[in-house]
Amino acid sequence: MREITYLEAIREAMTQEMERDESVFLIGEDIGTYGGAFQVTHGMYEQFGPERILDTPITELGLTGAATGAALIGMRPIAEIMFMDFTTLASEQLVNQAAKLRFMFGGKASVPMVLRTPAGSGTGAAEHHSQSLENWFVHVPGLKVVMPTTPYDAKGLLLASIRDNNPVVFVEHKLLYKTKGEVPEEDYTIPLGQADVKRSGTDLTIVATSIMVSRSLEAAEELAKEGINVEVVDPRSLRPLDTGTIVESVKKTGKVLIVHEAVKTGGFGGELAGVIAESEAFGYLEAPIVRLAGREIPIPYNRTLEQNAVPQVANIVEKARDIVQLKV
Amino acid sequence: MATEVILPKVDMDQETGTIVEWVKKDGEEVTEGEIILVIETDKVAIDVEAPATGVLQGISAAPGEVLPIATVIAHILEPGEELPQGPMPPPPTPQETLAEVPPSTVPATPVARKMAAAHEIDLQQVNGSGQQGQVTKADVVAVVSSPPATAPDGKVYAAPAARRVASELGVDLNQVQGTGPGGRIQSVDVTAAAQSPQPMPIEVQSSSEPEVIPLVGMRRTIAERLTASYQSIPHINFTARILMDAFIATRATLNEHAERAGEARISATALLVKLVSIALQRHPWVNSSFTDEAILLHRSINVGVAVALEEGLIVPVVHDADKKGIALIGTEVSDLATRARAGQLLPSEVGGGTFTISNLGPFGVEQFEAIINPPQAAILAVGMTQQEAVPLDNGEIVAKPVMHITLSADHRVIDGAVAANFMAELKSLLENPILLSY
Repeated sequence: MREITYLEAIREAMTQEMERDESVFLIGEDIGTYGGAFQVTHGMYEQFGPERILDTPITELGLTGAATGAALIGMRPIAEIMFMDFTTLASEQLVNQAAKLRFMFGGKASVPMVLRTPAGSGTGAAEHHSQSLENWFVHVPGLKVVMPTTPYDAKGLLLASIRDNNPVVFVEHKLLYKTKGEVPEEDYTIPLGQADVKRSGTDLTIVATSIMVSRSLEAAEELAKEGINVEVVDPRSLRPLDTGTIVESVKKTGKVLIVHEAVKTGGFGGELAGVIAESEAFGYLEAPIVRLAGREIPIPYNRTLEQNAVPQVANIVEKARDIVQLKV
Repeated sequence: MATEVILPKVDMDQETGTIVEWVKKDGEEVTEGEIILVIETDKVAIDVEAPATGVLQGISAAPGEVLPIATVIAHILEPGEELPQGPMPPPPTPQETLAEVPPSTVPATPVARKMAAAHEIDLQQVNGSGQQGQVTKADVVAVVSSPPATAPDGKVYAAPAARRVASELGVDLNQVQGTGPGGRIQSVDVTAAAQSPQPMPIEVQSSSEPEVIPLVGMRRTIAERLTASYQSIPHINFTARILMDAFIATRATLNEHAERAGEARISATALLVKLVSIALQRHPWVNSSFTDEAILLHRSINVGVAVALEEGLIVPVVHDADKKGIALIGTEVSDLATRARAGQLLPSEVGGGTFTISNLGPFGVEQFEAIINPPQAAILAVGMTQQEAVPLDNGEIVAKPVMHITLSADHRVIDGAVAANFMAELKSLLENPILLSY
């Protein structure tokens, strides 16, 4: 099968859906002639024109509100927030309006919009352009939160998100944009709320999100050389969450390491740990549930500090080994 | 100092850049802010400005080259400046200033020192993992967060999985030894405890189907150990025929004494254990263990005596048999056998054996070969004592009490001659027990 990048997979999903469904349009900053800060929408303005690729001023709240309103009257907007850090500005419309309207109108209104945004550190973009704020939105009933790791997942999950009748926060990762993978040319969807076992193993379950899935897979290869056989589970969507796949994996291995880039305190790892501890997997645990996550600091500019602020492959290898060897 | 011209980072996620063209040539004068070259990222072409005023010198990257960002690609020299020679020196390493640290013999980072003080931890007791054994914050954290070796409140420290398995198998966690960190009980510990000796349930079968005995507990252990022993140890066997009249006479004398003293009778096994222990004392290679790295010649002589049970067998051990009197050995063997059949032996009473005796004489077996009980290097199979035809030196054939013994030895440790010498010694002792007092 042909290989394309994560970025191209996202662009292809949007392009194909816009060709298929006239109600789909894009709205965001610099997404037009500039093609987006990461070139995700490169060439789309030329194809679809100014009516369907709406360049806005620097107004995250305004563009998210416009998307919410358009969705209410039957459009399927895809809003791009250039950096996840600035979803904080968009969150009034997203959290207080988009997420609530379906409930407040007793199901008579719906907000079928997608808010796409790149998260994560590793590009030297410092405190204001590197955060992973997914769990802010996981906490809000009415929102769905998706975090694809591979180009294949990115396309299938984005198509499912656009067609979903609820607001979806679609969290991309800057360092994944140029990673390649096999992606079918045709239209396909991956249901939201379906985890994927990215690697099968018996000694330890690693539940990881976004780029930490790739790093965990690398770590798993390292550990395999030592005879440690790791299973890597990628939830793919954090809300709704496929608890069944995670619980079954932990029941099989009895040991679990949760890895994410976002700061540990209040991060999604706490939710995962809670889900596991509440489930029947509890009685299969041979060791404490361990979280490996971002440090309790803003992402620093200095490259060395930046790398040390979030889990790297070596950290995952070390932590996984400790759990498997019952050092914790 | 000459001003460096570097390949600039112009994009968020840019790792490399391509030189498109040099607008200014080597040796040309440039003014700060003037465009000197064009580079390209995978998105755009970018004009690069001169970072200083002077003469452009030492251009080291040609058009078309792809280089990592921040690579030095040229210099701008002011009058009197020269191009730096060779590679650029690395930036100076910041010197650690530890002047304010209070004096102490233990090297530790300031954070580790502060943290140790807050938790009232003696730094002398912390293993430093930093440079030259310096105690780091992580080392102190490890000490602070390590669980206590034993739960101080008397509660059971067990993993959730261990609790579930214990409940399923009906195992009392108070009786289980934990092997996890801080003595935490893991599920494997519970499984192991459940497989330790306990009576097998007897199932009543009415059909012609075979009776199914699950391979659990002692049966499984026996199967695994004997298979491992027989497959991994090269066994070699030596049989000797022992004339038993002196042995029988000696035992009779000992028993007369015991009766007069009102003490328990001396069993044949007790006398056998004593004589074997003396032979072992004189032939330490037979009282040994084979490991992958070395052969261990044991200083203690601990003789195990196989005892048959309904569900298998167990080998209680007479420790330091060579140092004990025959009467004491007799008491111990009888006590161990009784408690073995009642399932009341302590782990220490079945462990630590350095040699084993298996006596099937009472069952009417004439002679047999036993399988070595690892990690021991040899086992003695003892048959029954019966009247056999024995030719005397003068050619006459008479009936005498005779016993056959067979030594099975680990041939990796015990050479044929070593085993033969041991058997000769043992035969001599059994045929002349008076040699005990030699």
